[in-house]
Amino acid sequence: MMKRILLIGLGFIGSLAAADEYWLTNAKLATGPDGIGVIRDIHVKNGRIEALGQGLKVGLPAKVIDLKAALVTPGFIDSATTIGLAEVSGLGVSQDGEVADDDMAAGFRVGLALNDASVLIPVASNDGITRGVVVPEPGDSNFAGISALVRFQRGEGFIVSDALAQHLYLREWDRRHAGGSRASALASVVHALEESARFDQQRRDFNSRKYRAFEMSAADLQALSEVRTGRMKLVAHVDRAADIRHLIAALEDFPEIRLVLAGATEAWKVSKLLAAKDIPVLLSIMNNLPENFDRLGARLDHATLLDADGVQFAFMSGSPYSEFRSLSQAAGVAVAYGLSWTTAIAAITRSPAQIWGLEDLGVIEPGAIADLVIWDGDPLEVTSAPTAVMIDGAWVDLSTRHKALAERYRDLLDLK
Amino acid sequence: MKKTVKTMVLFGLALLQLEGFADYDSTYNPASHAAFVIDQANVDLGLGQGVFKGWVQVEDGRITAVGAGDAKIPDGFKQIDASGQWLTPGIIDVHSHLGDYPSPSYRAHSDGNEATSPVTAEVWAEHSVWPQDPQFPLALAGGVTTLQVLPGSANLFGGRSVVLKNVWSRTVQGMKFPGAPYGLKMACGENPKRVYGSKSRSPSTRMGNFAGYRKAWIDAQEYQKKWQAYDKALEDYEAWKSASDGTDYKARPSPPKRDLKMETLVGVLEGEILVHNHCYRADEMAQIIDLSKEFGYQVTAFHHAVEAYKIGDLLAANNTCSAMWADWWQFKLESFDGVKENVAMVEAAGACAIVHSDSATGIQRLNQEAAKAMAAGARLGLAVDPSIALTWITKNAAQALGVLAQTGTIEVGKMADLVLWSDEPMSVYARAETVFIDGVTHFDRRAGIAPITDFEIGQREEIF
Repeated sequence: MMKRILLIGLGFIGSLAAADEYWLTNAKLATGPDGIGVIRDIHVKNGRIEALGQGLKVGLPAKVIDLKAALVTPGFIDSATTIGLAEVSGLGVSQDGEVADDDMAAGFRVGLALNDASVLIPVASNDGITRGVVVPEPGDSNFAGISALVRFQRGEGFIVSDALAQHLYLREWDRRHAGGSRASALASVVHALEESARFDQQRRDFNSRKYRAFEMSAADLQALSEVRTGRMKLVAHVDRAADIRHLIAALEDFPEIRLVLAGATEAWKVSKLLAAKDIPVLLSIMNNLPENFDRLGARLDHATLLDADGVQFAFMSGSPYSEFRSLSQAAGVAVAYGLSWTTAIAAITRSPAQIWGLEDLGVIEPGAIADLVIWDGDPLEVTSAPTAVMIDGAWVDLSTRHKALAERYRDLLDLK
Repeated sequence: MKKTVKTMVLFGLALLQLEGFADYDSTYNPASHAAFVIDQANVDLGLGQGVFKGWVQVEDGRITAVGAGDAKIPDGFKQIDASGQWLTPGIIDVHSHLGDYPSPSYRAHSDGNEATSPVTAEVWAEHSVWPQDPQFPLALAGGVTTLQVLPGSANLFGGRSVVLKNVWSRTVQGMKFPGAPYGLKMACGENPKRVYGSKSRSPSTRMGNFAGYRKAWIDAQEYQKKWQAYDKALEDYEAWKSASDGTDYKARPSPPKRDLKMETLVGVLEGEILVHNHCYRADEMAQIIDLSKEFGYQVTAFHHAVEAYKIGDLLAANNTCSAMWADWWQFKLESFDGVKENVAMVEAAGACAIVHSDSATGIQRLNQEAAKAMAAGARLGLAVDPSIALTWITKNAAQALGVLAQTGTIEVGKMADLVLWSDEPMSVYARAETVFIDGVTHFDRRAGIAPITDFEIGQREEIF
């Protein structure tokens, strides 16, 4: 774990459950160093993939599980979820995902608001999703704060990191922040970053007479300093092609910033620029409605176009109601609209891991974290489901409140 | 118009006799097309009876023959080779707000909820429909040929729905499904009590909701009596007049003042308008059924019936359909008990199950939503044949809209509303390749045929 702790560098890291040792034999790998669909044995130890091969020497029989050529994928990673923020999203009692009445919320960490006992957690793992990014929503600020990485296992260890990335919102309906115009919003973003540089400079002189007051809190300035110096990624939620270009231009004075685009409905119109600048994109692939004038370019084959131009991308769930239940469906729809199956799988495994800087997730390779999903069919088919899910080398309890409810009424009504 | 009249006679749909109904009629008149036979397709008739290799013959907008094996192509018929494709009835969405809540979705376009009074049975969804909503062609690309556009759920009685054919038209009248009955949107639970409770008005509670329904139905009964009395008086007058020798005088009775709100409610009491009731919770659905018995009407379908799985027996006994999502839940308290197995459990209870969208994105993938619900049922031990799952978005949906005699299945005499799919319809990889409405090709992915709305002209034409 040291590698990731160093990588993330900030905030606290949730404790991980003590892992067991397993030999998963005859696994059909959806992704791996030797290609797609090969049969391999997977040795899991101490939460990681210890070895991968054919005819591995196995240990105690009780620890050997013959998968009989069932398909195995890395655990899926949802790059935008709200699990843990509220049991019932529409109740209005929870504003835990955003900061209100504040000009600047860059220092806000959504991870500290999360409920690790939520009944929503196993619903995600039942769809093969083992990790998710809980994203702060914009309150009264364009900078919304810092996202958290979670793993979909209830209890202690749910929150893996509360310091994943900074989130900036510059969509059409975010313009009300920072003066009402998107031009003033962009100017305020640049100003805030400049202020964070002055903050870094003046921190040493904090108690001296040279110190000039800041409009922002020390927590906000500190958070923006992390972004400006490239220690933390900046995820910009922006749709219109022109706004994407303007943002990239505005950030040119801050060459260390590591920018990621989210939503990015019209990214396909600037795909060559994104490829040249190595800027990845997080996509809500099924939302293809021209809901506003920033989103006129919405289309179902977006990923296919980005892929053709060499832009890295990952999918996020994005349907506001069923949310995490639709991540693999989105990947399947992308395949129906021209993306290769392998790239679609990568867009919910390896690619998000790389985009979020979690290099030992999203792959089935020796040394990788043992987040594994065993499937009863093609994982991108809406009719398929996991038969077992492993997170950090431990099996996940897949029982849910929903299954218990369905079973209660199946039996009460004697349904067959 | 000739075709419309013929349809009515053929399928016995009564024209609504209430005064004023002659207006706002459908002006939809399908274009003519060359007769054709779709051959070598994997055909699912939408009857829940499985898939066979076969053919479907279409003439003048109607299905004129269906068969298994190789087709014999009559002289003058175009042959459409559907090898490797699946043929199903057109998909039907019983719950949509396309046109009422169009894209772009600015307040200037927000025309789905007349949230100014808990009883707005007088409003008609069709008067809000913007035919240039680009969401219509997106739904068409998902195989949707017929949809019901409903008012929103802010009110106890939201108003009249309209059933549309998913065709590009300059007017909503040009989209209206000829002869389809109107629906009445009613709503249970959280929405009406929240909207009016927050204005310190009734209803602010679920019991307030029920008091509001009952008062409105009592008013409707009174209105109905007034008109019945008038009809009787008029009848008596006409009888007197024809018998009169002209020596005495009797005044012609004058009709009561029309009340649009009451006209819609009386339409329900007289069985001409179908009730589509937004209702999540099982206990509330049971009470709504009691309400319908109190006033002698039928609930055609519960919509958003997230807890229908708890009362499948009751729904079957009352012949009420449930329109459901595959997996929406958790977005409000009354949706917290939503389970993926819901649709399959309703089917297993012998009740009418429908998968609906209530969403401009969901409507593009109703086949996938049905597939999800089917698979969840199988995991609970309730195996559902894919062909049965298809009825959730075709036949059963047509039944709930009162148009099953005309569409919803592939049967001789019905409208040729058909979809050719690239793959098994229950697969995430299946795309609607060709969509026929009344035999006319409205969408063909390979040929690049798709409607472009006025809104898209010059700014979004390349996308479909």
